[in-house]
Amino acid sequence: MDNNARRLLRTTYAFGTAGLATLIVLIAASFWFVAKTQSATDAVLHSREQISVLADLLSTVLDAETGQRGYLLTGEPRYLQPYEDASREVKSRFAAVDAIFQNDASAQQSLAQIHAAVDVKLHELAQTVELKKSGKSVEALAIVNGDRGKQLMDRIRELVAQQSRQADQALKDNIEEQRENASRARLFAFGVVFVMLLAALGAIATIVKYTRELISARTELETLNAGLEERVKERTADLKRANEEIQRFAYIVSHDLRAPLVNVMGYTSELEASLQTLGTLAEDPHLDALASAADVKSIIATDLPESIGFIRSSTKKMDGLIKAILKLSREGQRVITPEKIQLDDFFNSVAASAQHRVVELEGEIVVAKPLPVIESDRLALEQIFSNLIDNALKYRLPGRTPHIVIRQVSSGWGATIIEVEDNGRGISPEDQERVFDLFRRAGAQDQPGEGIGLAHVRALVRRLGGEITMTSELGRGTKFRVILPKTLQSDTERAGGKRG
Amino acid sequence: MEKEGRPVQIVMIEDDEGHARLIERNIRRAGVNNEIVPFTNGTEALAYLFGLDGSGEVSSKKHLLVLLDLNLPDMTGVSILEKVKANPHTRRTPVVVLTTTDDEREIKRCYDLGANVYITKPVDYENFSNAIRQLGMFFSVIQVPEI
Repeated sequence: MDNNARRLLRTTYAFGTAGLATLIVLIAASFWFVAKTQSATDAVLHSREQISVLADLLSTVLDAETGQRGYLLTGEPRYLQPYEDASREVKSRFAAVDAIFQNDASAQQSLAQIHAAVDVKLHELAQTVELKKSGKSVEALAIVNGDRGKQLMDRIRELVAQQSRQADQALKDNIEEQRENASRARLFAFGVVFVMLLAALGAIATIVKYTRELISARTELETLNAGLEERVKERTADLKRANEEIQRFAYIVSHDLRAPLVNVMGYTSELEASLQTLGTLAEDPHLDALASAADVKSIIATDLPESIGFIRSSTKKMDGLIKAILKLSREGQRVITPEKIQLDDFFNSVAASAQHRVVELEGEIVVAKPLPVIESDRLALEQIFSNLIDNALKYRLPGRTPHIVIRQVSSGWGATIIEVEDNGRGISPEDQERVFDLFRRAGAQDQPGEGIGLAHVRALVRRLGGEITMTSELGRGTKFRVILPKTLQSDTERAGGKRG
Repeated sequence: MEKEGRPVQIVMIEDDEGHARLIERNIRRAGVNNEIVPFTNGTEALAYLFGLDGSGEVSSKKHLLVLLDLNLPDMTGVSILEKVKANPHTRRTPVVVLTTTDDEREIKRCYDLGANVYITKPVDYENFSNAIRQLGMFFSVIQVPEI
């Protein structure tokens, strides 16, 4: 599952990265294409300018020639105006041409030829105009008729046309390149979009696949969960049944054990009564006549009472044990009824009920307030804490006045922890688990009891859904911690909860 | 008033013969000399109380007192108590439940069903014989009409 998720993450990242990289490439390429198109456009504009500048030059030279012809034909100075204007303009036209072709090395030679041709032409024009001005019309016309001017003009035209063709070719090339660029850019964009679409589809496919896996996993989990709940319910029911069986068993056994015990006790007493009669017989002086008198007397006076004494004490002890089992089993059967208990008041009353003995022993019970309010079974709590206090008083260290503190220690998670600390004789480490066992006691056996108190307390605490722990130091004292749920579910609630 | 003048008969239903004997001895010691009819199981006791036809007619003319143990091999004493108190001929018969069970719910149930006295058999013999002797006094009170 984990591996799968990691693989999925890797795949998704890969697709994302691929998409992103493609996008970056696309953006970079777009810039590149734009720059390329820009430069092509610039080149186109440049070529156009070249063509137009050359055309301007040619038309200026033609203007000059036209002016010259007009003047030569008419002799009118007003025809001289266009010639003069054009002759002046030629310079600026050349400047423009030079500026435009500045970086065009291949054109320089042909430009120089144009320059030279134009210079010669202008010179021819100037010559004829001067001749005309000075009245030598015939000479001027002769020059014109000599066809040199026409040849010069043709040469200029051709040179300019040649250069223009070149510029035109460059223009066409650039336009072609621009078109190619555009189509390349389009193709590239299509490719990129295709790749990005692939990446997106891949990512979507992965996500869809994973989502499907997730859904199926969740469904499986839900099924498992339902099964688990069912199993827990079954187990709980089993446990409950087993527990009830044990309780019934304890109850029946203790009752059935009592019946024969009644007989043992009863007939022992009967024996005792009979023994009294025998006792009067033993006093009878006639008995002394018998040989076995001494033996009989000792049996009646010592042996029999001793035997009966042991039977009695043993049965009494057994009765105590059976009673203890009965009490425990009955405790398990008691229906617990949770109610809100103000622990402050509760412990006041618990302490008050032990007050008589505490005063007798000159000790004290301190209830550290404030204590919380919990919801629990009052009777069970009373038994738990009276038992603990009773133990604290019972197993005090001789010579030390008992001092018992009841306080709350840090509680959380819906639990309340109450600590009962005493300064009694303590319990040695090896006995600390034993003391919670039924019929087991620790330390000097100098106090009456069957060893049922703490077993009973633990059974009660567990019945309330809690737990009891203990820390103790021999000769220093003992701390019992009773952990109780803040809210106790009643038996019926619990049963209801199980059904639901 | 036909019943008057006839001695009270004690029907003792107790499966433990030791207990039965102890009870009998203590009853006698208490000065009660009424006839004791012992049964060790419920079936026979019921047959005696209600007759072969089970109607209870046979007991209608007798003065009876039932001493009942709750733990019987074939049925619970509670069901005997129930039957005795439900039958019109026997329902006035005093029933003393004498058993080892000291469960409060059980005791309550017996009284609810009409038990007249409920005595827990104490293991401690002193208390046991005391209880029986007191029971003897109770018997003598019942005996009064006879005298």
